[in-house]
Order: sequence, then C-alpha cells, then structure tokens
Amino acid sequence: MSPAAHDAAQYSFAVEYDGPPLSFDLPRAVPISVDNIPVAAVVSQVPLSDALALPVVQPLLPPQLHHPLRTLGSEPRVSKLASETTVSPTSVIAFDHRASQSNVGELSGELSSSGAVLDDGKESVDFNELNQQDCASTESVLSLEYPSTRVSSLKAEDIDAKRPPVVTFDVDSDDDALNEEFDVEDTASRPVIKRAPLTKGKKGSCYRCFKGNRFTEKEVCLVCDAKYCGNCVLRAMGSMPEGRKCVTCIGFPIDECKRGSLGKCSRMLKRLLNELEVGQIMKAERFCDANQLPPECVCVNGQLLSYEELVTLQNCANPPKKLKPGNYWYDRASGLWGKEGQKPSKIISPHLNVGGPIQPDASNGNTQVFINGREITKVELRMLQLAGVPCAGNPHFWVNEDGSYREEGQRNTRGYIWGKAGTKLVCAFLSLPVPSKSSNSLGEQPSSLASRTIPDYLEHGIVQKLLLVGCSGSGTSTIFKQAKILYKSVPFSEDEHENIKLTIQSNVYAYLGILLEGRERYEDEILGNLRKRQSSVLDTAGTSSKLDDKTVYSIGPRLKAFSDWLLKTMVSGKLDAIFPAATREYAPLIEELWNDAAIKATYERRSELEMLPSVASYFLERAVKILRTDYEPSDLDILYAEGVTSSNGVACVEFSFPQSASEETIDTTDRHDLVRYQLIRVHARGLGENCKWLEMFEDVEMVIFCVSLSDYDQFSVDGNGCLTNKMILSRKFFETIVTHPTFEQMDFLLILNKFDLFEEKIEQVPLTKCEWFSDFQPIISRNRPNSNSNSINNNPSLGQLASHYIAVKFKRLYSSLTGRKLFVSPVKGLEPGSVDAALKYAKEILKWNEERPNFSLSEYSMYSTEASSFSH
Amino acid sequence: MSVTELKERHLAATETVNNLRERLKQRRRSLLDTDIAGYAASQGRTPVTFGPTDLVCCRTLQGHTGKVYSLDWTSEKNRIVSASQDGRLIVWNALTSQKTHAIKLPCAWVMTCAFSPTGQSVACGGLDSVCSIFNLNSPTDRDGNLAVSRMLSGHKGYVSSCQYVPDEDTHLITGSGDQTCVLWDITTGLRTSVFGGEFQSGHTADVLSISINGSNSRMFVSGSCDATARLWDTRVASRAVRTFHGHEGDVNSVKFFPDGNRFGTGSDDGTCRLFDIRTGHQLQVYHQQHGDNEAAHVTSIAFSISGRLLIAGYTNGACYVWDTLLAKVVLDLGSLQNTHEGRISCLGLSADGSALCTGSWDTNLKIWAFGGYRRVM
Repeated sequence: MSPAAHDAAQYSFAVEYDGPPLSFDLPRAVPISVDNIPVAAVVSQVPLSDALALPVVQPLLPPQLHHPLRTLGSEPRVSKLASETTVSPTSVIAFDHRASQSNVGELSGELSSSGAVLDDGKESVDFNELNQQDCASTESVLSLEYPSTRVSSLKAEDIDAKRPPVVTFDVDSDDDALNEEFDVEDTASRPVIKRAPLTKGKKGSCYRCFKGNRFTEKEVCLVCDAKYCGNCVLRAMGSMPEGRKCVTCIGFPIDECKRGSLGKCSRMLKRLLNELEVGQIMKAERFCDANQLPPECVCVNGQLLSYEELVTLQNCANPPKKLKPGNYWYDRASGLWGKEGQKPSKIISPHLNVGGPIQPDASNGNTQVFINGREITKVELRMLQLAGVPCAGNPHFWVNEDGSYREEGQRNTRGYIWGKAGTKLVCAFLSLPVPSKSSNSLGEQPSSLASRTIPDYLEHGIVQKLLLVGCSGSGTSTIFKQAKILYKSVPFSEDEHENIKLTIQSNVYAYLGILLEGRERYEDEILGNLRKRQSSVLDTAGTSSKLDDKTVYSIGPRLKAFSDWLLKTMVSGKLDAIFPAATREYAPLIEELWNDAAIKATYERRSELEMLPSVASYFLERAVKILRTDYEPSDLDILYAEGVTSSNGVACVEFSFPQSASEETIDTTDRHDLVRYQLIRVHARGLGENCKWLEMFEDVEMVIFCVSLSDYDQFSVDGNGCLTNKMILSRKFFETIVTHPTFEQMDFLLILNKFDLFEEKIEQVPLTKCEWFSDFQPIISRNRPNSNSNSINNNPSLGQLASHYIAVKFKRLYSSLTGRKLFVSPVKGLEPGSVDAALKYAKEILKWNEERPNFSLSEYSMYSTEASSFSH
Repeated sequence: MSVTELKERHLAATETVNNLRERLKQRRRSLLDTDIAGYAASQGRTPVTFGPTDLVCCRTLQGHTGKVYSLDWTSEKNRIVSASQDGRLIVWNALTSQKTHAIKLPCAWVMTCAFSPTGQSVACGGLDSVCSIFNLNSPTDRDGNLAVSRMLSGHKGYVSSCQYVPDEDTHLITGSGDQTCVLWDITTGLRTSVFGGEFQSGHTADVLSISINGSNSRMFVSGSCDATARLWDTRVASRAVRTFHGHEGDVNSVKFFPDGNRFGTGSDDGTCRLFDIRTGHQLQVYHQQHGDNEAAHVTSIAFSISGRLLIAGYTNGACYVWDTLLAKVVLDLGSLQNTHEGRISCLGLSADGSALCTGSWDTNLKIWAFGGYRRVM
C-alpha cells in the first residue's frame, strides 16, 4: 500500500478494491433470515412425581482471590464444587497464575532474571554488578523453593559504583551447585550474596504463619528481610546465635542497610525473652564474625581495606561512626574523614595506617585551595575564611591533627584553625566536623581507662556472690540465718516458719529424750548404790527391810510411761515422724515433766550428758513455751536452732545492705548501695572431701571461710577414722579451699566465729591444748592481777589476745600458700551487730579491690586506711 | 576386745587387702599380653581419617547465660536437654535450634540432667542433693515455670550424675557425692536400692558419673573420686560386681561401649581407658603425650554408635576424637572452625549416632555432624 493511499484512507472505513480482476469467487456474507433460525419448542407439561428431585446447581460463592489456599483448606464442602465447576474468569486467571509459578520452576528463574536485566536499562549503568547480584539472589532462591516475585529493594546510597564484582554468577549452573552453597557456611571466603526470604505471604503479613497485617509488630531478619510476628519469631530464628537472623540465614553477612540496627533490641524481643538472654543475643549480634563489616566493602583513598586495616580503623580511639560500605577518603595528617567526592564528615584519629595515599580530587573540590594535598570544597573554604585563615592566592596548607596549619614547605605554624571560639559554631552551621573532645592531647589513654573502671558486676546484673564455707559446727548456718534476719524484710516465709517450728519442736523432744535417758541412768546408778549399801546392811544386820526405790531421780508412773515411750520412739528413729504432729497431745505432759523434781535434778547434771549439745539448755529452759501448739519461734530461737538450713547442701540468700544515716556521704552516693549481694552457704559435709563442686563457684567475688574459735579443744573423727582436733581439721579444709585452682585470685575473709564462747573457754582451757597453737604464750596474762577481770583500756583480755594470735596463725598460713593477704574478722554469730559488721567488712574489701586500680587518681584514698583499720 | 587390738587387726587386714590387690594387679599384667592398639596395628589396620567436612559444627544452641554442665539427648527424637549454672534447664530441638522448654530450677547449682526414655520428662540434680523430675507435658504456672513433679530426696551429698533406666520411665539411677549410687522408683519417690555407702563395699569417695548398660539394663557402672570404676548389678546392692583399678586420678566420666561388654572412662589423670566387664581387664589407655606441663583432665566422654570413635573433652579446651582401635587422635574438635571458646564440659551422641552435641563453659551448645554435600541420586 502506497503512503499516499494510506494517507487518503486515513479516515475511511473501507477502501473500494481497484486492483486486477479476480479469478475466484469471493465469499460473501449472507444476510440472515430470522425465520430460518431454529428455536427450541416449548416443552409440554410432563407429569412429574413429587419425589423425584431435580439436580440443583449450588449457588456459586464469590471467588476469594486473596486466599485461594485457605478457601480450599477451610471450607471443604464447597471446595470440591468450586474447583470443578467455577468458571469465573478471574479465578481462572488466578489459578493459572499460581500454576505457572509453581510449575515453571527453573524456567521462571530465567524469566525473572531477564526481568531484572530489563530493569537495568532504566537505572543508571553504575549499578551493573548489584543487579547482577540481585539476579543471583533470585536465582538461588528459586532453586530452593518456588520463586518469589519479589525483587529486593536496593538503596542507592549504599551502592558503590566502583566496586569490582565480588560475585560471579553463572546462570547456567545447575541447582545442585546452588544447594551446595547453602549447605556450607564458608566464612573464610564469604560470598556477598543478598539473600531473599524463602517464603512470602501477602504484603505485610508474617512470613511464617502468613497472618497479621502491616501494623502487627514484627521482627525483621537482618539478612533476608523476612518479617516474623511474635508467635513465630523464636521458631523462625531459633536460638539466635548470630542475632536476629532466620535459622537458614545464619552464617550469612547481614544486609548492610540494617547495620544501624545491630544490637538495638526491639520491644518485642524484650517481651519474649528475659533480660540476660536479650543481652546475650544483642552482644552476639554486634560482635559475631558474620555480622562484622566485610573489609572488602570499604574503600579508603581508592584502596580496598584488608581485614587488619578495618580492625585498626574500628578500634582506634575515635573511629568513624556507623561505618557503611562505600568509598571514603581519609586525611592521615589531620584525621579528616569523608565520603569520596564529598566534604569531610568527621575527624577521626589521625595517623592510622589505613588505605592508600589521599588523592587531590578526593572530595571533588574546585577551589584550588589544598589541605594536605586535597583540593578542598567550597564549604570548607568558606569555613577557613570565617576562621580567619588567609586563603588568598590558592595556598597549599599543611594541617595537623591539633588544627595547627602552615603553608606547604614552611616550618613555622601560621595558626590554629580551631583557635577561635567561633570556628566550631561556624562548622556546626556549615555541617562540617569538629574535633571531638576525647581525641585531644591524651590520645588513647582516657578511653582505655574508662573501660577499665566499669566494674564487672555491671555486666552480671549487679549481683555479687559471697561464698560462705566452713567445717560442720563452725557456725556458717548461724551466720547465714543472721544475714537473712538482718537484711530481709521477711526473713522466713510462712512455710519456712512452720518448718522451723516443727524442727525446733522435734529437736526439743530429742533433747528431752536425752535428758530422760540420763535420768534413767542416774536413777539406776543411785539404786545400784543403794542396793549395794542395803545388801551390805542386810549382810551385817540380817534383817530384810523394804527396798526404798524412791530416789531424787524417780518419777511418777504416768511420766514414766511417757518417758519409756519417748525413748522407744527415739531408738526406733521415728521421732521426726511422730512428734511435731503429736505436740497437742503431749504439751500438758511436758509441763508436768519439766516441773518434776527428778528432771530438774537431771538437768543440773546436764554437763555429764555428752549427747546433749550446748544449745540444748537454751531450748530446754523454754521447753514448756516451745512445745505449745501456738508457739511462734523468735529470731533468737531460729538462730539457736539446729538443722534449720542444713537440710540440703547449699542455700543462698540475696540481699543488699540497707542505707544507714550514719554512713559517710561518699557511701550514700556510691553505686555500691545499689549492688545486691548473694550469700551462698555451702554445707561442707554433704559435699564430699574432694571439693569437686568448687569450680561451680568460680564466679563468686569472695570466699568467707568460717572457723569456730571454740573448737581448739574439740575432737572429731576425720575421714581416716582417726580422732583429730577440730581446729586442725578446719585448717586442713582451709588449705584445700585456698589452694584450689578455682580460687586462685580470690579474696578470702576468715571469720573467727563463736568469739563469745571462746572468751569464756580460754579462761578455763589453755589454748595450747591444740598442737598448732603450742607456742601461744601471752605475756600480759601474767601481769594481770585478776584472771577474771576484763580488758582495761590498753590491757586486752586473754580472749582477744588469743583470737589475734589465731588470726595471725591463719594469715601466715594463707600468705605462705598464696602470697596474698588474708582478711580476718572475729564474730559472735549470735549477735546481729557482729555479723553485720563482718559482712559490711566483706563489702568494703570488695569495694576496695575494685577501686585499687584507679586508686592513685581518685579521691578515694581514704579507703586504704579504712579497710586496713578493719583488719586485725 | 580392746580398741588397740581392733586397730591392730584393722591394720593387718588393710595390709592383706593391699597385698592381694597388688598380686591381682601383677597377675592381670602378666595375663594381658597386648592391648587393642598393638593388636590392631599388627593386623595392619589403619586409623580412621577425617575429611574437612566429615564433622563440622552445624548448629549453635545459644540461650544459656551460665556455664553448661550437662546435656542429654532423647532416645527417639532430636531433642536435647541441657543444664547450666544460670539455674535453667533448656530443652532444645536440635534440628531447628529452638527452645521448647526453659525450666527455672529452684537450686541454680545443677550438675546433671537426663531425658526420660519416652521423652516425656527430664531429671536433674545438683548441689541441693535432690534429684528433681519435671514432666514436660504438665502445664506451666503464671511465670511460665514448670513445677517440679517429683523430688527424689535422700542423698546426703550432691547429685553428680543421673540416668534413666532404658525403656523405663519410672526408674532412675543417680550417683552422688555421698559415695553412693541409688536406684529410684519415680512413681513413689522412694529409693529402691542403695549401692555402696557406709557398711558396704562401695566407693570410698564421691561418685562422679554413672552409665547404664544399653544391652542389659540391670548392669551399670560408676566412676568415682577414689580413682576406681565399679560395676553394679541392680539386683545386688550390697556389693559391687567388680572394681576396676587403673586410673591415677578421679574418674570423671564413665560410658558404656555400645555393645555393652566394655566401658570407657575419663579421668583427672588425663587418660581415657577402656575396660572389659567380663574379664575385668583394662583393654586400652588413650593418652596424648603433652610435653612439659601436667595433662589436662578429661571431663566427659562419648562413644560413636559403632564404637570405633571415642570423643573426649578435656579441661584445656581440647576435644579429641580417638580411634578406639589404634588409640590415635584423629581429630580435635577444639581446633576446628566455629568451635567453643571455653572448656567442653559435656558431650552426647544422638540416639541414631548422626550428631554429636557438646556443651561448654562458654554458655553455648554446639551440634556437630557430617557437613559435606549429600548428592541426591
């Protein structure tokens, strides 16, 4: 068709044929005659029975485009029908679409990659290899699952145009090869692949359960951008060994645009996990290898960084903040730092050996003024002018890190850029960097000092653990109970109180049993003597007189029956099972028993009953009160009670020291009062001799070792069946613990317990009874006029002298074993003030240890005297 | 009889016992003409070799905030229970590395934990001298804590080790610092039998580890601070079936060989040993010579499902894979990529033997398995 004809025919409907005559017939449309069209005839009325039901087509449900899967799954009644009979055009398209997606597997991979290539054309040519990466990512995802149509969004500012291609992606490679890449976490040569999530539901929903919308709170995977709702995040991300990443993404480098959120915990995570766990995950997220900035992404002065250079850059005193992949320039002499082609953004630490030499056109300036060989930008020039730097004649400046400048080739400094007060203001106005404060003069020192002064416990949730150990009978349980009573508002819970009550009551029954046993023995002794005398009388006189069984120790038949029964239960070992429960029944009897003269007489001779512990007299004197059903144990009762805490091997109490008004002002402002302490009491007997458990207490801050002073004349059977002095046993245990490798650098506080008992005892039994103390020769005791008189000012009592002597013995032993100083404190376990002082002393030691490193430069020097004044 | 006379008799008896023991030792030595390694070498066997991907760390289970002390696998599924000094038991799904349960313990000083054969409950024990049972199916309370379903109390020392009797959810054996092992009936919470103790011929120091024979669950073996391992029959509590001497330090870990006729031990003397329960002989010593300083202690051991490999964790952070036949170290997990940063304190092999789990003082658990490329045919 000629163009002219075309033009003419522009508006015509059809053109008349004017070509050569045709040799054949043209088919022509025949007009329709309406009558000839066949029409269905009207059906004549057929008689139908009512029973016969015609098949009725169910009404079609409106096609649910958004949830085709759910429709199929959740409504099975309709589903069969719908899938067979629905011919709604929209649903056909939807199904087809899905089918093509799931069927075409490999094929659609090529499609989508070609699509990406097409996209390329629209964008600038610089993005070549990133799009290539993108192809890689979609392709790799395809090989795993069905394809996602999603193309990961790219942020232009993160893209580095000059970066050489890191990933070489072979489009023809088969699926196997790709699968391999996912199986192996090769961190050494980490491929920089931008991963896309494996599955994706409708927009805004959770990637795992496909529920929720864009407003539900979600956690995002740092690698593949998948979002999970609160119910799914822990399942999808597992234990998060590298922070918030899908399990399948572990080991892969993070999406660089999410670097800013590293270590920043979301509310959701805080809700789902406890604080320590969140801390741990955030720490892992920030510091694990896979999440570090890959060094090959950062280019300084046109040179890609090596790993070492990156570490230098990030660990310097004043590092560039929020380092992102990209091209930077760095002026070594002045520390100026900026993006390539842009003005400086920050002043970092100078003289770092990072990247190549700076290029003159690094910041793309056109002012012909040079600083350290870099042509500066207009903004900088303006700043220099405002700072009073003469910039006429296109000078070349040499600027040092302190801001001093001179012209190139000259020796004397012309001035300081930062010298004028207004300069920094100008810089802020022009959004130019100013040197940070910490980078001046001292260099790296302040930062390292700051990191050192942060105490360990801040990371451990501010609980300092004190381990309380000692041989059995050294009073560790008393000190433990005392600490509970001192520092807890509710020392013992209801249950504990009830248990303690029962324990005390059954203890008292046991004491009574011992007493009754003693009574029987005494009675027998006297009766025996009587009989002997009587028989001798009988022999001489030959007359039989009625045997008088009545002695001081005799009791009435009712009490006798009770006594027999009690002793029988004790022998059978069922005392614990019967007694506290039977208290109601026997309480009146006890009163009668206690008031009986025979028992009173036996009680007088209690020192002869070696089974009776020393605390028994305390309880027996209160027996009537204690064995009432409405008895409530007092704090003192609890302190005296045996067996209240020793039921299992270990017990602990957490407390903080209450602030008292008398404390110094320094103390009240001190963070130490916020610190919580955990006193852990270990029952040495139940824990074996080999101390295998000691390494579990590696994290304690201090060991408080308890020794009973009054043990020096006591004997006990040791592991080999030999009778050994208890003080020597304590010393052996002390040596074991002190020399244990776990406690190599541990502080020890020795508590010399039962000082009150000791003071009494030392007057009667010489300290030299224990072979370890054989060289104890107190000088002053001879000069004292009366051995019973207590200390006059400069005349300490024998007890004090002896306890000092024992303390020195232990200190010498300790320093010979470890070469360090032992802290010692004498304590009366039953006096609250004494225990309080000892535990506060422990606190002071801990505080002193913490402050010792920076002791010289702080005003806390007074602690040195304070701490030592406590030690004896 | 006076005390001095008794003492003399006791001394004499001790002397006799020691003499007999020495004679027994010499007799054993004379009978034992070779060890496994010598024989295997003479037969021309070569050690197992490991490719770079044959055992790699493929999962890190992170979630504990304290040192991990113990772990155990379920017998049927891929679940792990671990106990840590943060006072928690965590039940993990090893495949997905998810936590299914986190149980806060009443006593933080836990030393051991075990999964029941059906996987319905877990047991743990520690310095509180109690073995606590938790039913994983029971509902949690307001704070999300699982209540203790049964307390097995009766030990007078710490519970160092516990293991369920195979195929029985109702029986459990514990080893304790009070020098005894106890067989418990969990339904009643009472002791069925006590092995060792004051008047019986049992261990003379803390029991640190026990292992039940997989093929004959009546037999179990215990390792102790008295440097011996003892074999027990649960029907005869009064005395040990056999006592195995040889170690020169505390026996920290015992584990039955998969065939049930041998067992391995790991000790503070830095060696692992293999003993035969039928002859009582020591079959092999696994000892790596270190130059100058004293040997690192063995903390935990495990056998591969075939028994060819013995995996042992050491206090210096090493974790050797021994070839049991040739007594050669074929791999050190501690030197691999992605390994633990702290001492490996516990080890366990999954029931099918496909994966190894290690727990460490660096608060993490790691799953090790074959990491190569599986070609699907």
